[in-house]
Amino acid sequence: MGIHLREVRKSFGPRDVLRGFTLRVTDGETAAIVGPSGSGKSVLLKHVVGLLTPDSGSVTVDGAAVPELKGRALVRLRRRIGYVFQFAALFDSMTVAENVGMGLRRMPGWDRRRIRARTEDCLALVELAGMGDRYPAQLSGGQRKRAGLARAIAPSPRYLLYDEPTTGLDPVTTAVIDRLILRMRDELGVTGLVVTHDMTSAFRVADRITMLHEGKARFTGTPAEVRAAADPVLRGFVEGNPDLYFGAGRARSEDRAER
Amino acid sequence: MIESVLRPFSTLGVRFLALLEELGRAATLFAAAFRSLRNAGVWFPNLLPEMARIGVASVPIALFIATFTGIVMSLQASYTLTGAIPVYFVGTLVGKTMILELGPVLTALTLAGRVGANISAELGTMRVTEQVDALETLAYDPLAYLVVPRILAAVLMFPIVVLLAMTIGIASGWVTALQLLDMSSPEFVKGLRLFFDPWDVWFAVIKSVSFGAIVTGVGCYCGLRTEGGAEGVGRSATRTVVVASMLILCLDAFWAAVLL
Amino acid sequence: MDRRREALVGFVVLLGIAVAVVGTIWLQGGWRRSMVELTAASASVGQLVPGASVRFRGVAVGRVEEVRLAPGGDAVLVDLSVDPGLALPENAAVLVAPESLFGDWQAEILNRADFPQGEFLDYPQEGVLPGTALPDFSRLTATADEIARNLTVISERFEIAFTEETALNLKNAIDNIGEISNGLNEMIAQQAERFEDLSRGVNASAEELGAAARSARISFERVDSMIAGFDVGGIMANAEASAENVRALTEDMNASLEEIRSAAATADSAFGRFNALMASAEDGDGSLGRLLGDPALADNAAEAIEQMRALLADIQENPKKYLSLSIF
Ligand SMILES: Nc1ncnc2c1ncn2[C@@H]1O[C@H](COP(=O)(O)OP(=O)(O)OP(=O)(O)O)[C@@H](O)[C@H]1O
Ligand SMILES: [Mg+2]
Repeated sequence: MGIHLREVRKSFGPRDVLRGFTLRVTDGETAAIVGPSGSGKSVLLKHVVGLLTPDSGSVTVDGAAVPELKGRALVRLRRRIGYVFQFAALFDSMTVAENVGMGLRRMPGWDRRRIRARTEDCLALVELAGMGDRYPAQLSGGQRKRAGLARAIAPSPRYLLYDEPTTGLDPVTTAVIDRLILRMRDELGVTGLVVTHDMTSAFRVADRITMLHEGKARFTGTPAEVRAAADPVLRGFVEGNPDLYFGAGRARSEDRAER
Repeated sequence: MIESVLRPFSTLGVRFLALLEELGRAATLFAAAFRSLRNAGVWFPNLLPEMARIGVASVPIALFIATFTGIVMSLQASYTLTGAIPVYFVGTLVGKTMILELGPVLTALTLAGRVGANISAELGTMRVTEQVDALETLAYDPLAYLVVPRILAAVLMFPIVVLLAMTIGIASGWVTALQLLDMSSPEFVKGLRLFFDPWDVWFAVIKSVSFGAIVTGVGCYCGLRTEGGAEGVGRSATRTVVVASMLILCLDAFWAAVLL
Repeated sequence: MDRRREALVGFVVLLGIAVAVVGTIWLQGGWRRSMVELTAASASVGQLVPGASVRFRGVAVGRVEEVRLAPGGDAVLVDLSVDPGLALPENAAVLVAPESLFGDWQAEILNRADFPQGEFLDYPQEGVLPGTALPDFSRLTATADEIARNLTVISERFEIAFTEETALNLKNAIDNIGEISNGLNEMIAQQAERFEDLSRGVNASAEELGAAARSARISFERVDSMIAGFDVGGIMANAEASAENVRALTEDMNASLEEIRSAAATADSAFGRFNALMASAEDGDGSLGRLLGDPALADNAAEAIEQMRALLADIQENPKKYLSLSIF
C-alpha cells in the first residue's frame, strides 16, 4: 500500500519547513528525494516513522495514519520500517554487533544465536564483516554510516528510509551501498525512500525522483524525466549550477552582498 | 513609559507561564514513564546494570562523605555540649542527625551531582545525536528503555546507599568520640540508644526513595529535553544538579513537616 | 563480567538491608529475649515513655512497653517487660523517676518499704503493682530559680524603702526564707542518695536561693544605718497595703500546707510586727516617705510583694508539685 504523504505542513517556530508536501511511494518501488541542504528532507523522513507529527496534512504508511498510531500499533508499524539516520545515530554504549542486533532482540522467535548469525550477515552486506566487536567511536564516519544501514536492514523491514546513505562514502563503497539498496528492492520487495544530494546515486537507485524545494514537491518523475526536465531550479540542482538554480538576478545580488 | 513599568510584570508572567508549561511537560513525561512500567521486557534487562551504575558505583563517594560528616558531627557535638549536658549526648546527636538528616540529604545532594548530571549528560547526548530517535525507530519505547530502569534503580538503590552511609557516618563519629573525645564506647552507645526510634530509619528510607526518584527523574527529564549539541548537553547537566538539589531540600522540608 | 556485576549489586543490596536491620535491632536495645510482662499503676508517670529502661537495684532488667490511661482515666497503667529470671521483691512496687536531668525517665522496681514517703497508688486489680512518680525536677528547679530571682528583686527594692525596725523585722522574715532554703538543701541532701546527677542542678538553685536571702539580709543591714532619724511619710499607706497582702499570703500559706505552717507562723508574726511598726511610723509622721521622695519606689515595693504573693499562690495551688518531697 506504500507510503503516502499528502499536503504535509510542518514548521518549527517561525520557520516553515514543509509547506504542503505531497508524495506517494507505491509498494516495491524505490523513490529518491533530492533537495538542497536544509530544505527539510530529514524532517520529511521523520514524519514517515512518526518521530515528528505534521502540523497538518496526512501521513499514511501501509494504510495506517502514522500520527494517530499509539502503543502496540505504532510498535508494529515501526517494526516494518527501517530507518537509516543521516549521522548513523549508533548507540555508543554498545558494540557495532549489539547495535545491529538491537532491533531483533525484542522480536519473538529470535534467540541469541539467530541474532548473532543475522548480525554477521548484515555486517557483511555493508562490508563491515569482522567489525562487530568495535564500538562506534572506533569507526570512521563512513563505517558508522554503514553500520547504521546494517542496523536498519537487520529486522528485514518492508519499508526502508535512507537518510543520505552514501554521503561521505568513497565511490566504490557508494556503489556497494547503491547495489544493496537495489537488492533490497529486487530480492526482498522492500519499498524504499532515499534522501540524497548525490544525483548519480539517485539516478542509479530510484524508480522515481522527487525534488523538495521550498517545502513542496517541485518535480516528480523517473530519472529519464528528470534528465529531460526544463525546470531551471531542477536543472540547476541536477547540474550543480547555482546561476540556474537561484536564477541569474538573485545569484548576482548574493555576489554583491558577499563583496 | 508605561512600557517600562509593565515590562517587569510581563517578564514575570512569561516566566511563570514557562514554569507551568515545564511542570506540565514533566508531569506528562512521568505519567508516560509510569505507563511504560508495563513494558517490563524492555526495562527489566537494563535494571541491574543501572543499579550497578547508579547504586553500587555511588557507594564509595557516599561512604567517603559520611565518614567525614560523622567525624565533624562528633567533634562539633562535643564542642557544643559543654557544662551541664552529659557527654553521652554526643552519641545522641551523631546518631539522630546522621539518621534523620545528614545521611539521606548529604548523600542525595552528592548523588544529584554524580548520578543526576551523569544521566542528564548521557541522555542529552543520546538526544542530540538522535540515538533516542533511533531507539524509537527500532520499536523501543525510550521511556521504558531509558527512563524507567534509571528511576527504578535509584528508587531501589538510594535507600541502600543511604543506609550504608548512615552506618559508616555513625561508626566514624563513634571512633572519633573514642579517639579524640575520650569518651567510652558504653557512653556513646548509651547516647545513641537514648532517643532511638526505629521509625527514624523508615523516615530515612522514605526520604531516600523520594530523593532517588527526584534525582533520576530530573536527570532524565532534562536529558531528554536537551537541545543544541555539546553546549546543550552541558546546560542540561548543570540544570539537573541545580534543580535536583533544590527539589531535594524542598522535599526534605516537606517530609519533615508531614512525617515527623 | 556480567555475572560479577550481578553479584556485586546483590551483595550491596543485601549488605545495606542487613546493616539496617541489625543496626535497628541493636539500637533498640538488643534482641528481645522472652520477657515477662508486668503492669504497674500510678497516679501519673512524668515523662516516662515506651522504651524506657526498667531497673531493679540499679540494674537494667527490662523496658517499658506501653504507657496508657486506665479505663476511666483515674490512673496510668504502665506495661513493663522484664527478665524472666527476676524475682520480685516483697511488697513490690514501681517508682517512676527521672534517670537524669535530660528527659529520660525510668521505672524502678523496689520494695515499697524502701520508699516510705512515696504515695503509691493501689490499683484495684489483681497482679497490678502499685506505683508512684516523683515530681518533675525540671519544674522544681525552675521554680526554685524563680524564687531566688524574686528574692533578689525584693531585697533590692526594699533596700531603700523601710525603717530600721521594719528592716529588722523583714530581716527575720528573710531569715525564715533562709531556713526554707536550708530545708530545701536538706531535702536535696536526702535526695542525693537517689539522684546523684540530678541533685547538683537543684543544689545550685538552692544555693542561689540562699545567696539571695543573704544578699537581702545585707541590704537590710545597710538600710538599718542609713535611714535612722529620717521622717517616714506618704508611702505608709502603700506599705500598709503591701503588708496586708503579705498577711493574706501568710494566711493562704497557713491554710494550704501543714508542712510550711511553722515557717509561715514565724513569717506571720514578723509581718504582724511590721504592721504595727507601720502604724506607729504613721502616727509619728515618720520620715521614710520623704527620705524616698519618690512614690514610684513605693509602687515597686508593693509590686515585689505582689510577685512574691503570686509565686507562693502557685505553690499553694499545686503544693504536691513542689512540696511532696518534704522540702520543709
Ligand atoms: N527539531 C528541530 N527544531 C527546529 N528546527 C528544526 C528541527 N529539525 C529541523 N529543523 C529545521 O528544519 C530545516 C530542515 O532541516 P532538515 O534536517 O530536514 O534539512 P535537510 O534537508 O535534511 O538538510 P541536510 O541535507 O543538510 O541534511 C532546517 O532549517 C532546520 O533548521
Ligand atoms: Mg538531513
